[in-house]
Parts: sequence; C-alpha cells; structure tokens
Amino acid sequence: MRHDYWDRYSRIDSPVHRQPAAIKAAFALVMILITVIPPHPPIFIFAGVAALLLALIAASRIPVLFFLKRLLFFEPFILTVAALALFQPGGFPKFLTLVVKSTLSLVTVILLSNTTPFHELLRVLRRVHVPSVFVTMMALMYRYIFVLADETQRMRRARQSRTFGKRREGTWVFLSRIVGQLFLRSTERAERIYAAMSARGWK
Amino acid sequence: MLAVEVKNLGFRYEDRHVALRDITLAIGEGESVGLIGPNGAGKSTFLLHLNGILPEDAKSEAAVWIHGVPVIKPNLPRIRRDVGLLFQDPEDQLFCPTVFEDVAFGPRQFGLGEKDVEGLVREALAKVDLQGFERRSPHHLSSGEKQRVCLAGLLACRPRILALDEPTRGLDPRGKRLLKTLLRTIEATKIIATHDLELVAELCTRAVVMDEGTIAADGPALTILADEVLMLKHGLEKPHILRHSHPH
Amino acid sequence: MHIPDGFLDPKTLVAASALSVAGLGRALWVLRTRMSSRKVPLMGLAAAFLFVAQMINFPVVGGTSGHLLGAVLVSVLLGPSEAILVMSVVLIAQAFLFADGGVLALGANVFNMGIAAVLGGYFFYRLVAAVVRTEYGKLVGAAFGAWASTVLASICCTGELAWSGTVAWSVGFPAMTGIHMLIGIGEALITALVLTAVYRARPSLMSAKDGGTAEPSAKPFAGLLIYGGLITLGLVLFVLPFASKWPDGLEKIAAVVGFDAKAVSPPFVSSPLADYRVPGVGSLSAATALAGIIGAVLVFTVSFILARALHRKSSEDGAGRRRRPGSRI
Repeated sequence: MRHDYWDRYSRIDSPVHRQPAAIKAAFALVMILITVIPPHPPIFIFAGVAALLLALIAASRIPVLFFLKRLLFFEPFILTVAALALFQPGGFPKFLTLVVKSTLSLVTVILLSNTTPFHELLRVLRRVHVPSVFVTMMALMYRYIFVLADETQRMRRARQSRTFGKRREGTWVFLSRIVGQLFLRSTERAERIYAAMSARGWK
Repeated sequence: MLAVEVKNLGFRYEDRHVALRDITLAIGEGESVGLIGPNGAGKSTFLLHLNGILPEDAKSEAAVWIHGVPVIKPNLPRIRRDVGLLFQDPEDQLFCPTVFEDVAFGPRQFGLGEKDVEGLVREALAKVDLQGFERRSPHHLSSGEKQRVCLAGLLACRPRILALDEPTRGLDPRGKRLLKTLLRTIEATKIIATHDLELVAELCTRAVVMDEGTIAADGPALTILADEVLMLKHGLEKPHILRHSHPH
Repeated sequence: MHIPDGFLDPKTLVAASALSVAGLGRALWVLRTRMSSRKVPLMGLAAAFLFVAQMINFPVVGGTSGHLLGAVLVSVLLGPSEAILVMSVVLIAQAFLFADGGVLALGANVFNMGIAAVLGGYFFYRLVAAVVRTEYGKLVGAAFGAWASTVLASICCTGELAWSGTVAWSVGFPAMTGIHMLIGIGEALITALVLTAVYRARPSLMSAKDGGTAEPSAKPFAGLLIYGGLITLGLVLFVLPFASKWPDGLEKIAAVVGFDAKAVSPPFVSSPLADYRVPGVGSLSAATALAGIIGAVLVFTVSFILARALHRKSSEDGAGRRRRPGSRI
C-alpha cells in the first residue's frame, strides 16, 4: 500500500500547514463544537462554518478532489443512519440537520488530519497530559501500520502465487490465515522492537 | 583496559537449543573485528550479550565486561550507552514517527535538555550524511537511508563500542559503498557480525570465526580469510578480493 | 458502527465520554500494576495489527464485504484490559486519520466498541469456555463472545442515538441492532478462523490464559466489580429506558441522573409513534428482541459445531511448527 495513503497531504506547505499543531487542533475542536452542540443552530452558523472551511481548504493547497473523495467515502453511511431519523415527528428537518452537522464535522477533521502530521498531533496530546503509555502506543501503531499493510500484501501475493486454479479453501479461510499470521509476526516484531528500545536505554 | 572481555560465556534458548558454548574472547580498544561464520553459528546471539539484552533474566555473575564494567542488571543503563548495537532489520529499530525523534531517542534517555539533544541529533545526522532529514518519516526512506538513520541514532549517544549485526544486508552496491566509507570514518571499537566477507577484508583488522556456538578461529582478518581450507570448513569461502590481486 | 459527529446530543456525549474515561482509566490502572514495559510495544503493534486487519474485505454476497471488529479476538489473545486500550487507540486513530467516527463522538464509540464490546464479549467468552469443557471450548467461547460483542455494541449505539433523540428506539433497534445480529455472525466466524490459524502456528497460546501474556491479578473481583459496574451503568443510561415496558421508567432514570427530562430538547421519542407492529408478535422491537434470543441460541450451536470442526481439522494437520523465541541468527 502506498505509504502516504491517508494523510498524504499532511506534509505539503501552505499557510495553513505552517500553523502550530495545537492551534489547528483547538480550532478544529471549536468548529466542531459550534456545529454540533446547539440542537437547532440557525442557518447562518452552518453557512459561516462552511464558508470558513472552504476558505481554509483553498488556502491549504490540498486538492478539492481529494476532499470530495474522502467525503464521498463516508456520506453513504451518514445518509443511511440519518435516514433512520426520518421515522419520527419532525423527521425531515432533523435529517437535514444531521447531514449538515456531520458533513461539516467530517470536513473539519479531514482538513485537520491533512494539514498536520500525525506525530505533531501526538505531541499535542502529550502536552495535555494524556498518559504516556497511550501516546507511545499510538506512535508505534502509526509507525507500523504501513509496514504491516505491506506485509499483508506480500502474504496475499505469496499465497496467491501458490494457488493454481480454484482455491480448495474458501476466501474467508484464506484471509483469516493471513490475519492470523499477521498477528504472530506482529508480536514477534514487537519483541524485536522492545529489544531495540531497551538497547537504547528505554525502561 | 580491554574494550570487551568475555569469559566462558554460554547460552541456551528456552527450547534447550544451545546457542553459545564456553566463549572466551578479548577485544582491545579501537580494534575492528569481523565476526564471521555460517547461519546458526551464534553471531547475533553473541552480540545480544554485549549490551545485556540476553540473557533475559539477568544473572548476578557476569560473563561479559565492557570497559571493565560487568554486564549485569544494575550496570545496564551505562553499558547501553557505551555499546551501540545495530540490529539486523532497520525496520524494527526505527520505531519513532520521524527521523529526528528516532535519533533523539537515545540522548533523551540521558536527561539532557532539548537544546543539547538537538545538537547531538544534528551532529549524528551530519556524520551519516543525512542533514535535513529531521522531519522525514521512516517509512518513506530507502533501506540505505533507514540503515544510516539507525546508525545516527547510535552515534548520537557517542558509544565507544559499535556492534553491528549484518549491516550490509539488503543494501544495493552504492549503499554498501556508502556504509563502508562511513564505518571507516567512525572512531570506535567495532565488532561486525556479517556474511559480507569483502566488508571484513576491507574494514577489519581481525576476524573471529564462529561455528556451532564456539570460536573456531581467531586471528588477523586477511590471514583467516585467505585460509581457504578453514573458510570452507566453516561454511564460508575465500572472498573474491583476495582471490585475484586487486589494485585496492 | 462508528457514530459520526452531530448525531449525539451533549448529555449523551458527556455521559458516554465519562464512562469511557472511567473504563480507560481502569484499564490503564490494571495494566500499570502488572505490566512490564515490554507490553507497550506489544500493544502498539497489536493496535497496528488491528487497524490493518479491520481494513481487510471479507467478501459477502454481491459486492458487499464484511470486516473484522476484533474486540473479542484481541481480548482473547492479549487480555481484556489490554484489548480495551488497543481498541481505543485504534478508534482514536480512525477518528483522526480517517474521519471514521466523529471526534466528539469518540466517547461513545470508545464505550460501544472499545469497552462494552470487549468486556461483554470477553465475559461471554469466559462463560462459554468454562461451560464447554472440551479442548475447543475456547473457540466456541470466542465465536459466541464475538457475536455477543457486536450485538452489545450495536445495542449501546442504538440506545445512545435514542437517548439523543436522533433515532427512535423503535426504529433503531430493529434496524441497527437487527442488522448487527447478522453482522455478528461474520465476526464470530472470522474470530474463530483467525484464532484457529494462530493456535495452529503457536499451540502453546491455546492452553495459556489470555494468550499467555496476562498475569493473574491480585484482586480479580475488584476488576469484575468496576468493569461490570461501568457496563451496567452504560446499559442503564442508554438502553434501559427504552427496553423497559414502562415509559415513565425513563423519567425515573433521568431524575436519578439529575436531568429534568422535560427540560431537555428534543423530546424523547421512544414511545408513542413510529412503533411498527408485526402480526402475531407485536412491535418490531419485540420481534427483534425475540430474534436476538433465537439468534443467540443459534449462534451458540453453530459456534460449537464450527469450533469442533476447526479443531479437528487443525489437529489432523499435525502440530504447528515450533518457533524459538528470539532465535534469529
């Protein structure tokens, strides 16, 4: 898998990218709070937030197509769950409110994650005294997601290469074995990482 | 004082496989030792004993001394500063989100101020010719670059001994050349476990042959490497560089 | 089942977040007392593993595919407290990196999938494994627990949506929870298959408690009490008002919790309207609940048969390869 899959634009340069991570995170939080907390915000709040987000997107130099793709990924899910809200008195306005709120929040988060490298967000977490175990876990997770994804792909290809004709076992068994192997390799890798960390003085 | 002293070191894995038998060895300050032998000889296992990663249950009686300090649990923090161990797979060793943070990992354990840490990191990255790589993330680097970042991470702690496990594995010829040039410039006692016999011929003054957990031969690198009978006996061979006369 | 932002109202967010923080705090505390630093890389990598594993498409009919949630899988392999932390880390990362699940809604998503799913699923796993005293008892327990974890998470999710007034319980329960009773089957199957694959390669893990990485805690009952209390509180807040027959039970709960039910808007919409009726059974919700109970029995039976078949097959294939710890040379 491509290494820069999700936050591929988090390291480009733009006026937005240059802002400190803490500011961006706080700003995103405020945006989401304004959008989500009031039960029936007047339209101008939504419009204001949307306008602000659009301006930031433009300033961030992230391709709009990318935003749309990420958005389209989750809209169906949002629409489906929001559709359930229709089955009650006042359902339609509620439905609309839900869709607008969640879409605006979604865009905010996509913007944040693509203008801030993940490790800077982690640093913010450390500063607000999130337990160190947690942050270390997140850092290690982020570091090795791509490594494990590559390993998974290699395992798939290796198995596929040795499968002639229709597989005897089903696809689910095939995939589950890969997942099982991945787990074991991950634990073994964790041991090696622990050795490397200890070798450099970590306790 | 000897850099590394090993007396009657033995080690057996949980499944009863004996990896090291009665190893006794002394390495002087500034020496450059190539540790060679077939797969399964115990080279990696041996290296892991130099900074106390093995044995996992640290015993009270030491079999290894680093600059006179016994490798036992209470001494491990300072030993690990003194011995920089480069593992086989850089992927496992580069565990921080950015190059800077990874190289800074070691120095930060010393309780230094951020300014001092930054200085050490820049110095180390300069030594491995990776200036400007501070903000890069590890998974975007080539294997050679990953290798060098790992090395920088060790150098930032200013170890007096460098133990390297298969440093040229997976490197393309250019990467190997760069690494060799780099290793030549680093002043430290070097112990290099490797299959790359050319590397040993070019970089090491002494070669130690390990086979089945014991030391089979120990002497000047070129002498050992040129001894075809000995090489073949232990699953090795005479490196090309010694077969023909090279202008090097 | 990742709830996006905007679907839950403030009081639900606060309540769910409080429960999540309590659960995470407890998990951290448990691990601090019996964790060596060695576990941190293990859990970090387990989180990376889970993240990647959750992305794998398990094709179902047509173009749809199912995905692993992994709450019970991880709790069986690493232990429940570890699983709570691992799941939470994955959920948080998904919220920020993927925008999968809202940021404010993390409190709810962590509670549903990181705590309720883990603890509920693990509870059933241990229960069933203790009851089915055969070699493959663990597999049966894990499969059933995995199904239960999915259903439990969706129940909490539905409850939160109902308490927020977003989706009526009588609509949400049949729709969301009903669907997840089916999805849970996939979870059970995948969990069983993956565990079988793991145990085949590392037979020692099968007999060890919690994958051999958990050490017995000094006060198991304290843990049981605290975790059990958290789940119960969550169910009381999010589910009980809707599942109970007495609509004014909601007011009682609200009074206990301190909210004046009438002052909070939008109004709770659980009872009068939109309660669809199924002939012969009554309301759709009741039908779903009944289906759930039948489903549970069915899943248990299928899990039993499946586990036995898997166990038999892997025993026939011979003992797994033995791997020496740390023996790379």
